Amino acid sequence: MKKIIATLAFVMCFAGIALAQDELSFERKQAIDSLALEKVRDLSKYIKIVGSKDTPFSEANRVIDRAEELFMSDAEIGVSSIHSNQITYYRVRKYLEHLMRLNYDRVEIEWYNIEYVSDLQRQPDGTYVGVITIFQTFRGYDAEGNLVYKDTTKKDITVYVRRKETQIGGRTIGFWDVLLGDMRVKETTDR
Amino acid sequence: MWTRFGNIALLIIGLLWASATTAQTIGDFKMDETELYAMTKQMGQFMRRFNYEEDQFGNKLNPKDPKYRNNEMRRQSLPILFDQEKYGTQTELQRYFIEDVTKGDSTFMSFLGGRWYSEVSTTFKYNGTDVSVLLILAVEQEGLGSKWVLTNVYCSEFNKLFPKGELAERERHYLHPMSHELDFMNIYKAFQDPDLIEYYASKDYQPDYLTLFFYEVKQGRLVFQHVDGLKFHVFQIKDWYFEVSWFDRKGLNSGWLMSNVIYMPEKEKTNLIKFYQP
Repeated sequence: MKKIIATLAFVMCFAGIALAQDELSFERKQAIDSLALEKVRDLSKYIKIVGSKDTPFSEANRVIDRAEELFMSDAEIGVSSIHSNQITYYRVRKYLEHLMRLNYDRVEIEWYNIEYVSDLQRQPDGTYVGVITIFQTFRGYDAEGNLVYKDTTKKDITVYVRRKETQIGGRTIGFWDVLLGDMRVKETTDR
Repeated sequence: MWTRFGNIALLIIGLLWASATTAQTIGDFKMDETELYAMTKQMGQFMRRFNYEEDQFGNKLNPKDPKYRNNEMRRQSLPILFDQEKYGTQTELQRYFIEDVTKGDSTFMSFLGGRWYSEVSTTFKYNGTDVSVLLILAVEQEGLGSKWVLTNVYCSEFNKLFPKGELAERERHYLHPMSHELDFMNIYKAFQDPDLIEYYASKDYQPDYLTLFFYEVKQGRLVFQHVDGLKFHVFQIKDWYFEVSWFDRKGLNSGWLMSNVIYMPEKEKTNLIKFYQP
């Protein structure tokens, strides 16, 4: 049901917009950036819920399902630490399950108010590709409330934007479909 | 003295970019976002800052906006794109560069403009041993868009196969000009010492390392392990070459920054570009 509502929302936002053009106008790009940012904000929200020790196991699993729906089916998450550039690869579900099972009594996950959206470039099949950069802080505490681990990570998230069409009331309506792709998670100098 | 002025100038420039700072408080922690605003977070942001296609808050400028690609704004913002630990803020080179790229016929960076390359440092296993391999990639237009393609590769193991050799030694190995009259009966000499086989090639011969790389990968002798690092080589700007590298550090000068800037007239670039795209 939620999916239908979301699709309708996209359609309503962009009803009346002509079919995809080779060159997107500045205003059109801004509208697509907003759609992409919505997806990334949803992901941020889901990561916070999954990471929280107050979230019941069943609820966390339900949220992981929702988070998975934001991504392309083959999306991977590549993680590296400040001590090594070597990337460890996870599927989206594995990454979130790993986050859910971290061995702290309490965690704080927060996002900086910075969302940087790249220009959209077209790949050979015509799909637009962009990257959104966000920053997260993570802090893990033990039972006594002592801070035992903290990091700041830069997350570069691929965004795929495709022009799609749907039939509503016999009319063909075009809309922009936004899906997240590979995500690079890089630990940065603590600030 | 200059260093102190330089630091002050850098602070002002950094704050120009970072004047949208806000602070969040989480539990006992205050998150200051100033440095993250100032950081050049993506190579695409480097290009947009270089061209002044976004304001100091990171908002994309409408091409109709008078500030878009405004050279006066570029003169103010370009210093933050230099690695200030290497270049400071007042060096002659930096001033000359900024003056040159912001004058009347100023040049801008373009994603699809060609003549910029990624250098990806990687580790492969070669016959069971870890070796470093530099992969060179360029953006190529195809179909409805573009993609990154491999244009060259550097692996010291490959170079060892084609040592330059002593000139005197090289000059001893050839097939004399009347060999054809003997049905090339002497050609077996070229294959007697495999290490010297390339001496029998034309003086214009250049080993094609990319083909050799593909061959070794296909044979299963060269197996990808991981990416170690990334930097960019930019030849797009008229009479300049520069590298852009990632700097993860505190302060207002971090992210993707110009790490090596060289004045290079266009005709001098031709040979250097051949390394990146033979």
